[in-house]
Parts: sequence; C-alpha cells; structure tokens
Amino acid sequence: MSVENGRECGENAAAYVLGALEPSEAEAFRRHIEECAACRDEVAAFEQVTEALPASTLRSEVPRDLRRRVMREVRATPKTAPAKSPRGVRRPARFPLAWAGGVAAAVVAVIVAIVLAGGGSGGTRVVQASVGNAQLRIAGGRGDLVVHHLPSLPAGRIYEMWVQRGNAAPTPTGTLFSTRANGSANVGVPGSLHGVSRVMVTQERAGGTLAPTSAPVIVAPVT
Amino acid sequence: MRLRLGAPDLRSLADEELMELVDGGDTRAFEVIFDRHAGAGYSLALRMCGRRALAEDIVQEAFLSLWRSGSGYDRARGSVRSWVLSAVHNRAVDALRRAGAKTGRDVSDEGIAERLPARDATEAEVERRDESRRVRGALDELPADQRQVIELAYFGGLSHSQIAEMLDLPPGTVKGRMRLGLTKLRQALGEAEWVAL
Repeated sequence: MSVENGRECGENAAAYVLGALEPSEAEAFRRHIEECAACRDEVAAFEQVTEALPASTLRSEVPRDLRRRVMREVRATPKTAPAKSPRGVRRPARFPLAWAGGVAAAVVAVIVAIVLAGGGSGGTRVVQASVGNAQLRIAGGRGDLVVHHLPSLPAGRIYEMWVQRGNAAPTPTGTLFSTRANGSANVGVPGSLHGVSRVMVTQERAGGTLAPTSAPVIVAPVT
Repeated sequence: MRLRLGAPDLRSLADEELMELVDGGDTRAFEVIFDRHAGAGYSLALRMCGRRALAEDIVQEAFLSLWRSGSGYDRARGSVRSWVLSAVHNRAVDALRRAGAKTGRDVSDEGIAERLPARDATEAEVERRDESRRVRGALDELPADQRQVIELAYFGGLSHSQIAEMLDLPPGTVKGRMRLGLTKLRQALGEAEWVAL
C-alpha cells in the first residue's frame, strides 16, 4: 500500500499512533513522516490524544507484593553495574530480515580494533563497533557502550540495547536511551558479558519492545 | 550536587527532580516514582491483558527498564508518567500479540474499580480522577463504531487488519473510523489539557 497518497497517509497517522499498523506498514510510515510535515503534525496531535487514553482506565490498587518485588530488584541492580535481568514477559525474539542483513554486514565487515588500554587492574579492552560509530569498553566482564553521531530521535522513538549470544536471536537488555544533542551517549550494558557475542542497538518506539523491529544502528562484537 | 533528603522531603519533589536522584542511584527516590505512577501503569496493563499476574510482570518490567535507563530517560520527550504508560502499553501489546488473543481473563472490568479510599485521595489523585472522568466522558461521546475501533486497537493491541477481519469491514473503513474518532477526541479534550497526564 502506498503511503504517498495524501488520503491514505492521513488515515495511517491515526492507525500509527494507536499501534495498529502492521510492522512493515509502521516502518514505511515512519519513513514517510520524515518527509511529510502534514502527517508529522497529525501524528503529534494524535499522540497527545493517545497519551490521554490510559486515564480512562479505572484505577486498581497495585498489589503490595509487586511493589516489594520491584524494589527488591532495584536494590539488587546497582545503576553502575546492573546485575540481573528482570523477570517478566519475554518473547522468543524474532530475527527480522533487516537484522539478518545488518549482522551479516557486521560479520563481513569485521573491522574490529581491539585496543588494550592497559593500566587498570585487569585491563580495559576497547572494541570498535563494526556497524555504527561506537566503542564497547570491556572491563571485569562488564561493558559500557560509548556511541557517537547517532541520528536524533523522532518523537515517540528511543534507542534500545540488545545482546546476542552466539547466533541466537537478540534479547533485550531493558536499556533504553536517547543521545545528547551531538548524538553521543555512554550507556552501561546490564549484566555480565559472559557468553555474549554482540551488543547491538536499534531504534524502537518509546518504551521499548521485546524483540527488535528494525535493523541495528550499532553492532559491537564482544571478542 | 547530591541531595540528601528524608522520605517526606522526597515525596514533595517533582518527578523530574526525583529522576535526577534516580540517575545517581537513589532507590528511595525511585520508590516515590513507583508509588506515584505504578497505579496508572498497573491499571492500564490489567485492562489490556485481563490477567493480574501478566499485568504485574509488565509493570515490573517497565519500572525496571526505567531504573536501568536512568540517564536514557529524556525529560524533553515527555513526563515520567507518559514514559511509564508508554512502556507498559508497548509491553502489553507485545504480550497480547504473542498470546494471539485474550484468553483466560481472571478479572473483569467490573472488578477494576476505583478502590482508593476517598480519605487517601491527594490533590494530585483528585486531579487524576477528574482527568479520568473527562477522558471517559469524551470516549463515551464518540459514535460507538469509532470508539470500538480505537479501544480494540489501543487497549486490545489489535492491528487494523485484525480489527477489519473481526468486524468484517474493509481495512480503509477501520482506519477511517480511527482517524475520525481521534480527531473528535482531540477536539473534545482540548489543546492544553492532555499534558495534565
């Protein structure tokens, strides 16, 4: 379906903000609104409406046990070195074709510069990303991803970090981030890098997803 | 500068100030954020999924993501509440689409009641209830066919083609109803009111 037709793209704006477009349609529409100011404005206006929709829901008390569980996880997950993945909804991640292409490119274009920084106890390795402009700093089995020149995010979008073990489908780390005005960010990789083969970043809808829906903008091999 | 405040003082801080403390690893500040917004997130997840255990998992995942993201939370892109609700909504949609359909609901809409005792209602809570009534009123004013497609999409996590199939309508008609309904809601809610969330 073309989104170039004015009537159709206007109809897509409502379905888009309601999350009702199919993934391929949503991706096409996202590209479309980068060029179409009218649709961009309509999306912005409709997003304010959809942000209000949860208010129509009758309130339920939060189970006390949920509060205890969340705070127990929070206290066990230091901000500087997160240790555990949250329990909860995990779906077997799909592996979209776009990902296959991105990862294949990463493998083919392995321009991995490993710099032994030395000096620190145990040493810090800095691995250059094979896709995107980023370095993965690895120390003590944990990683920090330093990214540069990522495109600014359109409204309602966020960068999401993933890890891949072997050639399995990427799994979400739960880390969502935006960048500074210059496109840079320094983001810790939650948990140990043991068994992780790649750290990746995709652009996703605000709030994140449980499986990547677009090709990675960053792929950093863990070597 | 790191603020060192007791719990009562933390509760007087705005979300944005609390998030600065959360960035520094302040779990007490995060607890206040949780207390303020978990109710809305849990209610949304429960309405969408109809299962308490799944709703709890979704809310837990959303808040732990907020905790981990910390500096990734961008104040310029919306309130903490909007962020939490968006995270809950996205995860609930994922869960619904994974399950394929709502089955085995263990809670009905009737079971989701305004259970906060009136005496516990803070000023902010009163404002939220007013907001809730206003949005429910605006939805109720919509023609039934428009409200139906909006609710199936937003709360049911269904795509326009699934809705079209379910209602035996052309996809274009479903999209058209969505657009008309959202346009009317926009007019009914007024330009400046939405950010009250």
